[in-house]
Amino acid sequence: MEQLLREAVDAPSLEVFKARMAARRALKAVLVDLSGTLHVEDSAVPGAQEALKRLRGAPVTIRFVTNTTKECKKDLLERLTKLGFDIAEHEIFTSLTAARNLLEQKQVRPLLLVDEKALPDFTGIATDDPNAVVIGLAPEHFHYEMMNKAFRLILDGAPLIAIHKARYFKKKNGLALGPGPFVAGLEYATDIKATVVGKPEKTFFLEALRGTSCAPEEAVMIGDDCRDDVGGAQNAGMRGILVRTGKYRPADENKINPAPYLTCESFPEAVEHILEHLL
Amino acid sequence: MAAWARAVRGLLLDISGVLYDSGGEGGGVPIAGSAEAVRRIKASGLKLQFCTNETQATREKFVKKLQGLGFDISVAEVTAPAPAACRLLKERGLRPHLLVHDDLVPEFADIDKTNPNCVVIGDAAENFSYANLNEAFRVLIGLEKPVLISLGKGRYYKETDGLKLDVGAYMKALEYACDVEAEVVGKPAKAFFESALAEMGVPPEQAIMIGDDIVSDVGGAQQCGMRAVQVRTGKYRSGCSGAVQVPKEPNLSWDADSSAAGCIAAHTGSSEVALQGAVLEQAHVCARSKSRVSAAWG
Repeated sequence: MEQLLREAVDAPSLEVFKARMAARRALKAVLVDLSGTLHVEDSAVPGAQEALKRLRGAPVTIRFVTNTTKECKKDLLERLTKLGFDIAEHEIFTSLTAARNLLEQKQVRPLLLVDEKALPDFTGIATDDPNAVVIGLAPEHFHYEMMNKAFRLILDGAPLIAIHKARYFKKKNGLALGPGPFVAGLEYATDIKATVVGKPEKTFFLEALRGTSCAPEEAVMIGDDCRDDVGGAQNAGMRGILVRTGKYRPADENKINPAPYLTCESFPEAVEHILEHLL
Repeated sequence: MAAWARAVRGLLLDISGVLYDSGGEGGGVPIAGSAEAVRRIKASGLKLQFCTNETQATREKFVKKLQGLGFDISVAEVTAPAPAACRLLKERGLRPHLLVHDDLVPEFADIDKTNPNCVVIGDAAENFSYANLNEAFRVLIGLEKPVLISLGKGRYYKETDGLKLDVGAYMKALEYACDVEAEVVGKPAKAFFESALAEMGVPPEQAIMIGDDIVSDVGGAQQCGMRAVQVRTGKYRSGCSGAVQVPKEPNLSWDADSSAAGCIAAHTGSSEVALQGAVLEQAHVCARSKSRVSAAWG
């Protein structure tokens, strides 16, 4: 019995097999998480700016991908530039970008329940006479009247789009409800499932590659969140590299199956691996 | 005689969406013919109990409003979640943090609310602000074993100015946030229907529940062993019956232009036999075919 079990565990799953096959294809795109991977709060990860420069010397497309409900691309860019990273705005792909793309794809006019700071990412999207609902982190919008408005729209057929479904987050003075509970409440009342657009959704990673002419098998994702970054990317057919910075905790790499393609100390080490082995 | 209508001795009536639509000035608008229907049911000798998930007012205030709208109704005839919740809180030594409508708070006057060890959520309407929900969330997440008591779990209801989210949506929000399951006091909880039946002194197999909510009214009553009628007034939307899980089809559905109570009462003399005849007659005109009704009851 034990022997059988060992064999079952050792046998490469289809996903692992696919990942190994993929490893034989030349790499064309690198997706990089921001918070926890390039920087931790207001400090850059040591050597990260230099590593990014080296990566830019290779023939790969680079995209910076992150889950955010509050910060528009411009704010993110400003912070990263201040930290000495050489990044262009069009290289940033966030959960807000994903929501915007989905709105454009569906050609709908959203009721935007998002933070004011996120609004620049929706510039040019018509919001009059709404026929869709987008929910981000927007406590000022989560009240009875607005919830009823969103509810009636959804009941009349408007799609419900959630930037993410986090249960709560930590504020200086204690825990606070995230967007998840409000999305869950609306899902229950309308019997409709929300479309979640951020990491670790498969569509998020595929959308991030749009316009790069790269297949998922030709891309690698580097991030500090084993499930959302690495697991999500691998589920979309990419390779995933877990870095031991940011939110990483020992043994995080065991949280997903198949395991991360690679786990390394930090972003610079991940870049070294890519330059040496994946091109 | 329709098999399913045999030996009916009592009726449980939902109020909002069946007798009247709430909201607006004066607190609501009666559904045409419903006040007359209640009078006829009472004159027929049938036992009658009002079974409501109303939690926007104390029973006293609620009954006064309905009397003002022309209904023959008294406090003792109304089974509502708040008094049931108070009994449960006392039994289990629970001290609630209340997330309820301001007008419901007096129902909890006798309850110790210091140092809360549970949250009671009702249809708080405008009190469902982010700050208030967050406060309830922090109480729950701070407890070793969070206890959430919900007065009903309805999805939505209809007011004169449109559909409104009911307590169920906010109950789900807190359930999701804290990874807990709420204990529901009110419809569709079996214990709640049983207490309403006990008030009437009628066993479930001799009672019919009439309501506009397919889950709380129809599903709940059927799970309790009663038969149930769904009316096409209030929150009823065509095609919605299939969207949610109930044990079986409603036993009958009635059109909006004649309230269910009206349908029964219009044909009711003073005896049970007359009611059964009325139901049989009505079965011919309802949208669901007679054979389907029979099938639901074997």
